[in-house]
Amino acid sequence: MTDTNIVSFMTNKTILSYKGPFYIELISVFGTNIRNFNDAYSNARKKLFKIFIELSQNVSNYSENYHMVNNVQRIGVGELTLKDLEKAYLFTTKNQVKKTDAEILAERCEIVNASDQLKLRELKREQRLNSPGEKFGARIGLIQAVMLSNNTLEYHIEKINEDFSYFSLTVKIDKY
Amino acid sequence: MENITLTSSPTTPYFPEVNFNVEKGTCEIKGESYMEETYKFYLPLINWIKDYTKKIKKPLEVNVKLIYLNTSSTKCVLDILEILKDFEDDGGTVKVNWYYDKSDPDMVDEVEDFEAESGMKIELIEFE
Repeated sequence: MTDTNIVSFMTNKTILSYKGPFYIELISVFGTNIRNFNDAYSNARKKLFKIFIELSQNVSNYSENYHMVNNVQRIGVGELTLKDLEKAYLFTTKNQVKKTDAEILAERCEIVNASDQLKLRELKREQRLNSPGEKFGARIGLIQAVMLSNNTLEYHIEKINEDFSYFSLTVKIDKY
Repeated sequence: MENITLTSSPTTPYFPEVNFNVEKGTCEIKGESYMEETYKFYLPLINWIKDYTKKIKKPLEVNVKLIYLNTSSTKCVLDILEILKDFEDDGGTVKVNWYYDKSDPDMVDEVEDFEAESGMKIELIEFE
């Protein structure tokens, strides 16, 4: 499970907090503002933008709590929080998942966290080549988040009932 | 074969601008790519390149000017590169240029991965 190192830093300001359906229009506006809100730490904000889009789209695509648009398109519902710490940005997403999927996700986080950059790159190439594509995408979002941030993923599973849990994921993006 | 022209809009920055031109033998993708239902967007582009390489068979120049693409888009770009590689292996002439911002080293790594995964040579060119 997660350690509490990151949580203990969560005393600084929250620059974005949202709970609801993760429509692409919203993700895009939030992401663009994150990338452009000031001139400082431009490299960190570029990485933050990429991680923000990737993990937000995971919520949109995979949350078990979702809205249907025109009876066709499924838009995941979840939460996100972005905190501005002294030396880093802290981005967290949270969404509902099947209990069995939570275990799979936790296992993926552990594998990614245990890998160095070279191994991550190898995993990324392997996973992308073997992904069935189409609606499944590349299935490399978690790998990409760790490669970009150079920090491990922190995850937390919160039981809702016998079938579902909340899965939250936090990534730290250093400013320097 | 028809040309494909998709213009970009400030209200939908997650769709790239696309210009695929049969007469010129050029394909250009420009902007950002992180739309929903990625495969649905890329499928006509993939089919266009398949048709071009099977029916037209003339030299093709591909210019990618994406400043950001999400991982789902990278899967579709890889599909395109694999088709181009097959075309080249069958004797076709194809050139892929990837324009990048030098302040974004992550993109260079991404392009190196594309080369390794597809076997297709990609020319990296800095944005002016």
